[in-house]
Amino acid sequence: MRIMNALKNILVMMELELRRLRHDRTEIYFRAIQPVLWIAIYGPVMSSVRAIPTGGVPYTDFITPGVMIQTTTFVSIFYGLMMVWERDSGILKKLLVTPASRYSMVIGRSMSSGVRAVFQALIILPIALVIGVKFIPSPTYFILAFTIIFFASGGFAAISILVASFMKTRERFMGIGQAIIMPLFFASNALYPIQLMPPILRELSTFNPLSYVVDAVRGLLITGDLSNLLLDIIAIMIFDIVMFILASMSLRKIIE
Amino acid sequence: MDYAVKVNNLVKVYDGKVRALDGVDLTVEAGESFALLGPNGAGKTTLMRILTTQLRPTSGEAYVFGYNVVRDEGKVRRLISYVPQEISVWTDISGYENLLIYAKIFGIPRNQREKIIDEALENMGLSDVKKELVRTYSGGMIRRLEIACAVLIKPKVMFLDEPTIGLDPAARKTVWERLKVFKEEYGVTIFFNTHYMDEADMYADKIAIINQGKIVTRGTSRELKQSLGGDVITFILKDGANNSGKLQEIKKLEFVKNLFVYGSSLSIVVENAEIALPSLLNTLRDIGASIEKISIAKPTLDDVFLKYAGTRLEDKRRLSEVTRVREMIRRG
Repeated sequence: MRIMNALKNILVMMELELRRLRHDRTEIYFRAIQPVLWIAIYGPVMSSVRAIPTGGVPYTDFITPGVMIQTTTFVSIFYGLMMVWERDSGILKKLLVTPASRYSMVIGRSMSSGVRAVFQALIILPIALVIGVKFIPSPTYFILAFTIIFFASGGFAAISILVASFMKTRERFMGIGQAIIMPLFFASNALYPIQLMPPILRELSTFNPLSYVVDAVRGLLITGDLSNLLLDIIAIMIFDIVMFILASMSLRKIIE
Repeated sequence: MDYAVKVNNLVKVYDGKVRALDGVDLTVEAGESFALLGPNGAGKTTLMRILTTQLRPTSGEAYVFGYNVVRDEGKVRRLISYVPQEISVWTDISGYENLLIYAKIFGIPRNQREKIIDEALENMGLSDVKKELVRTYSGGMIRRLEIACAVLIKPKVMFLDEPTIGLDPAARKTVWERLKVFKEEYGVTIFFNTHYMDEADMYADKIAIINQGKIVTRGTSRELKQSLGGDVITFILKDGANNSGKLQEIKKLEFVKNLFVYGSSLSIVVENAEIALPSLLNTLRDIGASIEKISIAKPTLDDVFLKYAGTRLEDKRRLSEVTRVREMIRRG
């Protein structure tokens, strides 16, 4: 019964996000500009240099999943900013006074950022197609890839809720947000294979959740190499669960 | 029977230094409209946030209908609803959608949802704008929407933190009229914080005055004012007031508590000026006094506040700050 209630609350939070998106999608369009620049300009330029071994895949195709996931991670990490805003307003206080459990609130809010992230990733697809990126034409792979993006974004949003409970002003949060995303991005396989990194970074990237997400999505959408898929999914699940627990424990702090 | 709210020697210390609540004792009866009146920083919001299970007290106990707000927080949350001082609805969806989301969170069954939401919108006079984005609402409409959220579940106690802060007088009146109807219909207990004296005066059955984390006095509005001594009726008499022999007749009237003569003015302290005035006039006519002017001074809650807390209540600066922030959030 409890779990059913929690599940219901999580779905309600996602519904809220869908309703918001229905009313206003400007943010999604603007956030699409940066990834488009990566795949329309950076990709072709770097690919003419031919400096990065991509396993036979055109360089632009290689970075497309990485760029998509960088964008969705941005969406998720800055979702915490909304929590800071909701704390400044009374929304969070009111939500915490309802019978809904803290866990269902944190997971619900995190997964609603997943909803937003899926739309954000979807909008990049047609542009990538126009530029000439070749995707594997399999609906199953496609759905699995977006499910992975959905759940991974939930985990990143939970990080941002965790950060939001310590950073109580928006300005501080903006700074910290940047400081989290860029290292995650550059210390991942989004733009180049991990083998190219110096040994220390390579070790660190074992703990970088972004690498697992990029690896899984790249396998499903571009290369078809699914040898690490199970490991990737397990890593993302562990990441999500740990982040959900930590964020739920810290949630009370946000309103105090 | 259990009190709707019962607070025993409640203390809240922030960061080991700031003593926001300093031993608060309170009881609120079921079905009552209760005002916690005090200046900003007196501890009103802290007390409300403890009662609504958001904060833990440093020491002392608080109960809502017999449930401890720390040990039985889950049960307390099922009985109460809460409207914080800050804006607490999503402005980028419609009013109806806001209520729909809350109805789902509160677990109102699907087949009743529509009816309950429409009823709440109707009650708060928002039916016409329910499909509009909340961003386009006025401050008063947003407040009514917030209250509509709070009445959805027909709570046993509603906690309202400064329910009309930043609203113009007409909007304040509408908000309270709607609340009064709701209270009478469902017998809900209303616990509200305010620093508007007239609001406590007009809409609260009982008032407690809080200052620096302590309840300094409590009672009905009438009791509090009478604790100051009562109403003062002052007559300016044409032929002077020094006809003291005759004036002693007035002192014999049972409702006269005190009488002062100064020059041509005669001041009489009574419990209730409206009731006392007709017979006073009769008596004055009987003794042949000719009246030039009458004035009545009734004590206000501000006088009560001054007596018990030692300061005045008003603080305009902070009020405009809150108004500004609410406005900012509404515009997005």
